[in-house]
Amino acid sequence: MALEALTMVYPPLVVFAAALLVLVLPRIAGFAVGSASLLAVIALAWLTPEGAHLTGSFLGFEATLFLVDDFTRMLGIVMGFLGAFAVVYAYSSEATRRMTAFALAYVASAVGAAFAGDWLVLVFMAEIMAMTSTLLVWDYGGDAVRAGFRYAIAHGIGGSLLLFAVVAHYAEVGSFAYTADGITTGLPLLLAVLGLGINCAFIGLHTWLPDTYPKPHFAASVFLGVYTTKTSAYILYRALPDDGNLYVAYMGGLMAIYGATFALLQHDMRALLSYHIQAQLGYMVAGVGIGSTLAVAGAMGHLFNNVLFKSLLFMAVGVIIYRTGENDLYELGGLWREMPLTAVGFGLGAFSITAIPGFNGYVSKGMVLDAADPHYYGAPEYEVLYWLLMIGAVGTLLSFIKLGYYAFFHGESDLEVADARPGQTVAMLAVGGACLALGLWWQGFVDLLPGIEGQAFQYTGGEGHLHPYSPGHLRDSVVLATVAAVAFALVRKPLSKLGHVPDVEVIVNPAMYHLGRGSMRAITETFAAVDAVAVGFVRRCYWIGNNPTVAVDRVARKVPDRLVDTRDRRVANGGRPSRLFLRAGIGTTVLFVTVALTIVLWLLV
Amino acid sequence: MSSVDLVPVLLIATPILAATLPIALGLRFDRVGWSIAALTTTGLFAATAFLATVVYGDGATVTHALGDFPQEYGIELVADELSTLIALLVTGVAAGVLAYTRTGGPRGNTFYTGYLLLTGGLLGLTMTGDVFNLFVFLEITGLGTYAMISSGDGPESAVAALKYLILGTVGASMYLLGVGFLFMATGTLNMAELATALPDVEGQGETLVRVAFAFVFVGFSIKVAQWPLHTWQPDAYQHAPDGVTPLIAALVSTVSAYAFGRVAFTVFGADFLATTPYASEVVVTVGSISVLAGSTLAVIQRKVKRMLAYSSVSQFGLIVAAYGLVTETGLVGAVVHLVGHGLTKAGLFAAVAVVSVSTGARTVDEYAGLAKRRPVAAMAMTVLLVSLVGIPPSVGFVGKWYIALGAVEAELWPVAAVIFLSTMLTLAYAARLLEKMYFTPAAPTERPVPPGAAATDGGSPVETDDPDRVTVGMIGLVVAAAVLVVALGFAGGTFYDLLEPFVEEVFN
Repeated sequence: MALEALTMVYPPLVVFAAALLVLVLPRIAGFAVGSASLLAVIALAWLTPEGAHLTGSFLGFEATLFLVDDFTRMLGIVMGFLGAFAVVYAYSSEATRRMTAFALAYVASAVGAAFAGDWLVLVFMAEIMAMTSTLLVWDYGGDAVRAGFRYAIAHGIGGSLLLFAVVAHYAEVGSFAYTADGITTGLPLLLAVLGLGINCAFIGLHTWLPDTYPKPHFAASVFLGVYTTKTSAYILYRALPDDGNLYVAYMGGLMAIYGATFALLQHDMRALLSYHIQAQLGYMVAGVGIGSTLAVAGAMGHLFNNVLFKSLLFMAVGVIIYRTGENDLYELGGLWREMPLTAVGFGLGAFSITAIPGFNGYVSKGMVLDAADPHYYGAPEYEVLYWLLMIGAVGTLLSFIKLGYYAFFHGESDLEVADARPGQTVAMLAVGGACLALGLWWQGFVDLLPGIEGQAFQYTGGEGHLHPYSPGHLRDSVVLATVAAVAFALVRKPLSKLGHVPDVEVIVNPAMYHLGRGSMRAITETFAAVDAVAVGFVRRCYWIGNNPTVAVDRVARKVPDRLVDTRDRRVANGGRPSRLFLRAGIGTTVLFVTVALTIVLWLLV
Repeated sequence: MSSVDLVPVLLIATPILAATLPIALGLRFDRVGWSIAALTTTGLFAATAFLATVVYGDGATVTHALGDFPQEYGIELVADELSTLIALLVTGVAAGVLAYTRTGGPRGNTFYTGYLLLTGGLLGLTMTGDVFNLFVFLEITGLGTYAMISSGDGPESAVAALKYLILGTVGASMYLLGVGFLFMATGTLNMAELATALPDVEGQGETLVRVAFAFVFVGFSIKVAQWPLHTWQPDAYQHAPDGVTPLIAALVSTVSAYAFGRVAFTVFGADFLATTPYASEVVVTVGSISVLAGSTLAVIQRKVKRMLAYSSVSQFGLIVAAYGLVTETGLVGAVVHLVGHGLTKAGLFAAVAVVSVSTGARTVDEYAGLAKRRPVAAMAMTVLLVSLVGIPPSVGFVGKWYIALGAVEAELWPVAAVIFLSTMLTLAYAARLLEKMYFTPAAPTERPVPPGAAATDGGSPVETDDPDRVTVGMIGLVVAAAVLVVALGFAGGTFYDLLEPFVEEVFN
């Protein structure tokens, strides 16, 4: 009975209620409630029996608000776990109550999307998530406002594309339920992949990511870096559950390399981590794209782990920013003496993300790689993908050696700063401990993943078993680490010059900047250009409509300067001078009426 | 004839008769106008609610034939599922806006005469079952609106009213010409009779019917403010007194759009729209262009009222485009959006009025930091803007959702793309305002125009800039609109059920 009652509790509502309470309660009580609400989400995800669901009517359609299966349970657990400690972290990081309320509302919508039982609820929650995350970015003010606008526009477009995909899917299938075939192939799937591609930071559509995440409060970055992109990777699986898609898989491989490369070139620590979100998403996208049981399990496992270690890294970097006030990596150095606890936290995260044996990233990344590698369980067409992912792994190692080296080692610190505050330490060590625990006790972890029973899974050749610590895997790992270490030794000089010799920097940095932001520029500028053209066009049309004689006169004389001194014109019908030169007079409108009537009559009769 | 049958007549006759009272009693008493208007509109709302229980509860259409003439010659008033819904909106908003005008002005007994006349005209437009009578009520509504707009202070109000007077009359005349052609083709003016007679018209008559549709459509395009025939509307909304704009913005174009839907679907019929070459295409095109042009123009405005006015151009474009889809879902979407947009705009313009009364802010820039200074008004405005964008849960989302679904059903992908774009553009201008209110610190604003100019109609001028002038009623109106907009967001299925009988009848 008690378990049945659990399915009636809708987890996102619990979190959302906590978000409201944070606003009114005293600071410590409010944050405690926020953290507790997320622990409750874990409990609900864990205890609610599989297959339980909560249905309701939404817009006249049957909707499944809340569904528990292998996927949603796993997402719920990790989202709740991380969220609970991120709130603790935010408490110690002097986050305002308003910001935390926004963050909790954002988490609530992400949890809602994770637990959604059909496409309708999913799209609805994804839209709310876009909105709440924008508010979270805006809350910081300053530079974050403009970045937030670009973020909102990107996610508005992504969300609408997904909405149209779902509507088109509904028109084909007549139901919103998740199916084993995913979104209908053809236009609906194309729209869905495009829309999700924006949220999953496909190359070319990713520009909002490194643009937005470094801008807000550092505790907000911890939340932002986790929920939106990971939820989108999960939705991508729901859209492509069956056989995957070769193009999507290769997009994932390219993302891994692209993200790691641009991460290596960043100065801003959070920008570096943001590009790594893209790189790690590459592994998930690749897993979903390959589509075999092992690949999907690996993708979901990497999603799970990534939530932990990526936020841990954002936390550690956040502490550095909090104590030193510095975002630029090259201004730091030798910090391990000043803040050893933070260094430990960072180390746990960095070892996980770079897939060092013993940490959780090693297990899940290994699963994706095995699923791609034709020598293990991959199909031959994924040979290239496997190498792309391997190169991505080297890039990841390189950039984290760089980040760790320049932040914590490299010379003496010229700053005397305190270490992390207690709450920050608790959050970092708890999440870091989880990373280590899941890497060591990998049997329990893989059992949680969908499609894996114990350590066994099905593939086309029969039943396979996972052996992450087999000699072959360990050898690969050692080779990877050696290659990265050698490569770092080679590029360290140029890289350090990149940071310390100003004249080289003057040339190289702008070049990298333009290269890295090239795609972003292309998109934003195109949008701005289209916008300018549209507005200009409308203005000009109105101007011509308002001043037909002058317009004709100008065209006749071919005067090149446009739109001159129209602002000084007085309105002919006796009002005060108008700044709005758009007004059409009565006579003009009657002319429009005549023209419109003529056209309609001509068409109809 | 039961007592219910009398309700439609009373709904129209009462406000028009009551309109004489403020002037008559005004000879003896000073400030009697508001009380009379409040009594009348509240009574009207109650009567409409009663009518609604009968229409929706018993599923019966209430018809009243004036003077008991046979249907072919007589004048009919019809309350069916569609017109009752609109009548609820009209009476509800008319009663609600009075909460603002009590202290917010404009004052004076003559103003309330115009107010009641306008309400009567709108209800007549809603209820009439006769195409010629529809013209008469269109004119009554127009007269009421001209009077309302010109009651603002400053010469711009007079100019705006004149502009609407001329263009509105042109529009109504075109409609009348269209009605003339219909009469030539069929020999009747009753809507129900026309609906049965029109499909049988052949040969020369068919041309007449098409010409009639062209005139009716262009006439209504002016009244509904479709680009590029909208030019009266931004001036009218901007220069009308603050207390009047909510009423006009929520009702006048809405009821005209309803009337167009009524004529297009009840009189001409879905078949006519679907089979006549270019008919639905023309409607869809005009609507879609209005959506894009209207929202683009809204984005570049600096004055908040004007921005919202252009937003109306775009939202009505959506409704007209939805008519042109000629699907059941599209039609339901159009009606839901009609009601939802009316409520939203009433609330938004009332909020704008509250803000300008209490802080003097009128441009987007002046709204900076409003959330700190006027938290309740800013919050309500946010909710309303969210509904305008169409973010769930709000009635704006329900309407857009059904329209989008209709577009997909009809496989008109360009329309689906237009809906998508309009959401983006609406988001652009709504976000601009939201960002100013919540995330930009307040800068000391300069007073715009010093108050105290004389009103054109001789009524007492309204002075601004005094926080105490914001009454509980004003805030209550805004908050009530916001709450309703969200509450109705959950009523998507209910709307569909309520309108289903009408829609099924139209499409079968």
